Amino acid sequence: MKLTDIITAANRNLLKNKVRSFLTILAIFVGSFTIILNSAINAGVNDYIDSQINAMGGEGYLEMTPTATMDMMESMMSSKVSEYSDEKKDASQSISFKSEDFEKIKKIDGVKSVYPIYLSQEDYVTSPYTDKKYEISLNGTVEGFELDMETGEMPNVSKDNTKFEVAITKKYVTLLGFKDNEDAVGKTIQFGVPSTAKCYTVAKRSDCQTVVEATITGVQADGILTIGGGARANAALLNEIHRINSIGMPAENADVAYQATAFVDPDKIDQIKEELKKMNITAMTIDDEIGTFRTFLDAMVAILNVFGGIALLAAAIGIINTLFMSVQERTREIGLMKALGMSRAKIFLSFSVEAISLGFWGSIFGMLVSMTIGYAGNTFLHSEGMFLENLPTFHFVKFTPEVILPIIVLVMAIAFVAGTAPALKAAKKDPIDALRYE
Amino acid sequence: MKKASPRAASTAKKAPASFPVIEVSHLSKTYGKRTTAFKALDNINLKIFPGESVAIIGKSGSGKSTLMHLMALLDKPTSGTVKVLGINASKLKGKKLNRLRNKYFGFVFQQFFMNSNDTVLENVLLPLKIGKVSRFKRKKLALKALDIVDLENKAKNKATNLSGGQKQRVCIARAIVNNPKILFADEPTGNLDSGTGKKIIDLLFGLNQKGTTLIIVTHDEDLAALCDRQIRIVDGQVVNESKQKAGYIRRTAIKEGQKEDR
Repeated sequence: MKLTDIITAANRNLLKNKVRSFLTILAIFVGSFTIILNSAINAGVNDYIDSQINAMGGEGYLEMTPTATMDMMESMMSSKVSEYSDEKKDASQSISFKSEDFEKIKKIDGVKSVYPIYLSQEDYVTSPYTDKKYEISLNGTVEGFELDMETGEMPNVSKDNTKFEVAITKKYVTLLGFKDNEDAVGKTIQFGVPSTAKCYTVAKRSDCQTVVEATITGVQADGILTIGGGARANAALLNEIHRINSIGMPAENADVAYQATAFVDPDKIDQIKEELKKMNITAMTIDDEIGTFRTFLDAMVAILNVFGGIALLAAAIGIINTLFMSVQERTREIGLMKALGMSRAKIFLSFSVEAISLGFWGSIFGMLVSMTIGYAGNTFLHSEGMFLENLPTFHFVKFTPEVILPIIVLVMAIAFVAGTAPALKAAKKDPIDALRYE
Repeated sequence: MKKASPRAASTAKKAPASFPVIEVSHLSKTYGKRTTAFKALDNINLKIFPGESVAIIGKSGSGKSTLMHLMALLDKPTSGTVKVLGINASKLKGKKLNRLRNKYFGFVFQQFFMNSNDTVLENVLLPLKIGKVSRFKRKKLALKALDIVDLENKAKNKATNLSGGQKQRVCIARAIVNNPKILFADEPTGNLDSGTGKKIIDLLFGLNQKGTTLIIVTHDEDLAALCDRQIRIVDGQVVNESKQKAGYIRRTAIKEGQKEDR
């Protein structure tokens, strides 16, 4: 018998017992549906997290803080009272970076570049198209960032660029009086920047503020890491803000970096972290920061997969049962086929193909239904008032062949294994006994 | 069906020095072990020549079916040998054995053994499907076989909707679809009334006259008498081998059958 004939015959045999086959397929469907949907969510969410990490410079991006700052924050958060010791204070040292620290960090193997983050403070943002002023939090962007841009481009980060440039987030487009993203790109907006020292001496806050103009280069898509963040500026703009902030301050107080960032070789990240730790600097990657979320996600996926697995196990028992019944019912047919010269191997194959077909159809239906529900759910979560409304690039589910195919193959493999015992029983049947069977 | 000069055919096939298609020597088959042992066949020797029609006759439990199963290579003997087309069957294993059965044997069973949910055509082409014949060719051959049994118009019908006689004719079509050298028929008329039975007999002997070796297992003396040769089995042993004036008796029987049809 040819393989195509075996496959056709197997599926026709399944159709002969519609109800029984349907119920078995239903059981497989439940398991594969759970696992496929679960994996699609896992892939979708992780994909999004990865894209967000890349927006922040990717795996090689480190945020550095003096360990003393971290300890201080920890003791502030802690309810325990620690005992004071001179040694601990000496060891923890300063909560700011010293200028020689940056030289030392640059020399660590694998570090590509280091950027100190100086204090920069802006009071508001406004534009010629609105009367209102809005609070904003302005962050920097450096080479290596791949901001998730919806319109336009990232600010030019090259050191030679002296123009003040900024990429705003979507929610500021309408607030600042623009019609849409395209309208905003290329327009100039104003930041109100305080000179901190002066502000202690004047009566009105506006008397110590300087207006700085910057050009919008593009609009960022909203993402989990841009929520709360308002806009990203290039170094020229941040340096100007820092300069205005520092007016009237002694130089040693002005040029203090409490935080720094670095780009490093992702493969050497662990050694670099160790080196920095010796320098009393705590370094974290974006992955470290959202690590707890990933762990939570992984745990959820694992639990749901266990449920899916249990469903598949039950389905496998269903397959065994169905096929044993089928072998029993078709004893005579098996005997006849053997008498007519069908080999044991082909009989075994026929029943195995029947089992695999059950697995195939179950997982295909699982795939179709999980895709329908997944995409519908995704659309629903992006609709008005739902929590993904402001995250258009966050696809909650991701159905790609790489996600789905391995699961379908796995389910078919489980079905095959479940089918071996009945298939073997069929293959072993003696044609004589089978033909005598009444 | 028209019978073309049975006398001439029967003389032709009894040509001397022909080589046996099946040769059974010192064949024994024992079921069970030691105290429960039961000797179904005991030292059977026989030869079947090409184009012969042979009846294996005996009462239920005599061992006649076991003998047929051994000759059809569906079962293995406890001792002794079966030679098919000059090949010692005990030397045949797996693939070759299956191929031999698939290409050279045809089977007609008392209980029909049809897949009742399949169409008549599907049932008939099953041996060709197993023998890896292409889709187009097997359909052609199956329709030809159905034409021989006069059921071409039922090809698309479900097997379950046929009458007993029609079912047995489908079985014959299935048995001859691969153009076998040897046709085994196990009580081919056992489940049929005498009128329908005669039609089946006509078909089987018609094929025999075209050169197919026919081996019929039966307890029916009248049917056995139509064959060239009768091998009578009692308690697992051949008790009496007789040759009838086959052509004459058969022709008479056929004529009577045709009269009844009218």
